[in-house]
Amino acid sequence: MGNVGAVFWFEWKRAWSGPRLMGWGLLALFPVFIIGLIRFTADQPPRDLWLGFLFALIPMLVSLLGALLSTTTAISSELERRSWVYLTIRPNGGTAVLLGKYLAAVTMVIPVALLGLSLAVPLSGVEDGFQVWWTFSRLVCLSCPAYSAIFLLLGVINPRRAMLLAVVYSLVFELIISFVPAVINKLTVQYRLRALLVKWCDITPPPEANTNVLALIGNSPPIQHVLVLLALPPLLLCASIFILRRSEFTSSAESDV
Amino acid sequence: MIELTHVTKLYGKVIGVNDFTLSLGPGAYGLLGPNGSGKSTLLNLITGQLRPTLGTVRVLGESPCNNAQLYRRLGYCPGGEGLYADVSALEWVRYLQQLQGMTAGQADKAAQNSLDLVGMSSAMHRPISSYSRGMRQRTKLAQVIAHDPDFLILDEPFNGLDPVGRHELTQVLLDWIGMGKSLLFASHLLHEIESITESFLLISGGRLLASGTAQQVHAMMEGLPNEIAMRCSDPHRLGSLLMQERVADSVRIAEGVLTVATQNPSRVFDQLPGWLAHTGMQVTEMHSADESLQALFNSLMKMHRGEL
Repeated sequence: MGNVGAVFWFEWKRAWSGPRLMGWGLLALFPVFIIGLIRFTADQPPRDLWLGFLFALIPMLVSLLGALLSTTTAISSELERRSWVYLTIRPNGGTAVLLGKYLAAVTMVIPVALLGLSLAVPLSGVEDGFQVWWTFSRLVCLSCPAYSAIFLLLGVINPRRAMLLAVVYSLVFELIISFVPAVINKLTVQYRLRALLVKWCDITPPPEANTNVLALIGNSPPIQHVLVLLALPPLLLCASIFILRRSEFTSSAESDV
Repeated sequence: MIELTHVTKLYGKVIGVNDFTLSLGPGAYGLLGPNGSGKSTLLNLITGQLRPTLGTVRVLGESPCNNAQLYRRLGYCPGGEGLYADVSALEWVRYLQQLQGMTAGQADKAAQNSLDLVGMSSAMHRPISSYSRGMRQRTKLAQVIAHDPDFLILDEPFNGLDPVGRHELTQVLLDWIGMGKSLLFASHLLHEIESITESFLLISGGRLLASGTAQQVHAMMEGLPNEIAMRCSDPHRLGSLLMQERVADSVRIAEGVLTVATQNPSRVFDQLPGWLAHTGMQVTEMHSADESLQALFNSLMKMHRGEL
């Protein structure tokens, strides 16, 4: 575990650079900007629509994008820099790098999403602001680890095409398949988050839309969704470590052939 | 120390290492081969970065793949650079020692000691992006010796070093061997290996072509030309000096680079630092074209194929 801690702190310290902080700042402020635009340029939407906007911008966009940008390239960035071999020639070095970078990414994305949330919720002017903030904070804390673990796994499966795989996964699974009213949408993080949003925020769909909504959120109790989202990261991390230990990663420049 | 039994490594249809069988006891060995000969693939197999397609690899009696116990006793300096530009040498070496299993305090001490040993103590707090190639090479070496491994594996460690740096690194490695530790040192330059060890392994086309001592390699190379290219502050003056000292057969200068043809490269490398110190000239880059070695390897390959 000491090795994991070393990677974690090393990555955290490196994250405190001007360009990286600016990137995180932009990611946090983007939802605030959009919420501000809606608030001051359009008619005040009803509460449930506000919740929809906040959900799309924070747990969907900021968590997903932050996790994608920070964990997908965990391996490929080291391979491109040709630093991978220095790290993996250490006792359990590859595993430590994987877990350390994962923890660093999660602990960086969550505060960014919470910062955006803390600014966007008061700006939206929803009545039960604190309750909404608390609900969305829990969604952020569930979504960031899950997305980060998914993107880390994709990055281990194919480091050379990691970013492409992650973008395709996000678009196809999390944006399209999660809205398909069939069993397959239960495989997505979006489905779980959406179900929790509806249950925790007491969103009441119009009676005529009930059947369609049920297909998109299911009727499982919230605890089931929470348990799935909590179980997902350790399972995916184990899979990533397993694949990593069976893989051969050397940069072409280090190989003669 | 190293046991390779009929090891073959295939990259798709391309052979990296071809039916390689080798048994080395403790000691210092030079792995000599031209660029693209399979040296790095072999080192990647020995360090467990690659798995053999066929055959078995044992290092210090153990399989090297994902072997935490072995990695505590092994130090590997790869040929590529691979340093983080935005951290200092001290931070980087300390980080790698923590990955080695040291506490923060132990890692800090080990990193400072090793950076001091390779002559980087004055620059170790600066970001690596501000380092010269030679300084980055020294930093790479510091990370490999900091945890005091039993067995060092170095891939082209002299790349980019100036004559003074080469001399200092040679001393560090000789001291290392003097402590009774083992070393495997890959290079495509004969004189580099010769300055460290007498034992050679000659590899080309992914095959072990020959092994032996420096004298045996020199005997094979007799009559073959050696070329050394240098970028220096006054190439005309240095060329003239080398001719006067009768160590160069011919010199040529193109685009500020002095290329020296010599039958005696060891003498050039031994005496060059003294001449430079005496005349105040500076050599910033030095490479060996080593056509002689290429010719030797071509001949050995033909012998291997039964064409000679």
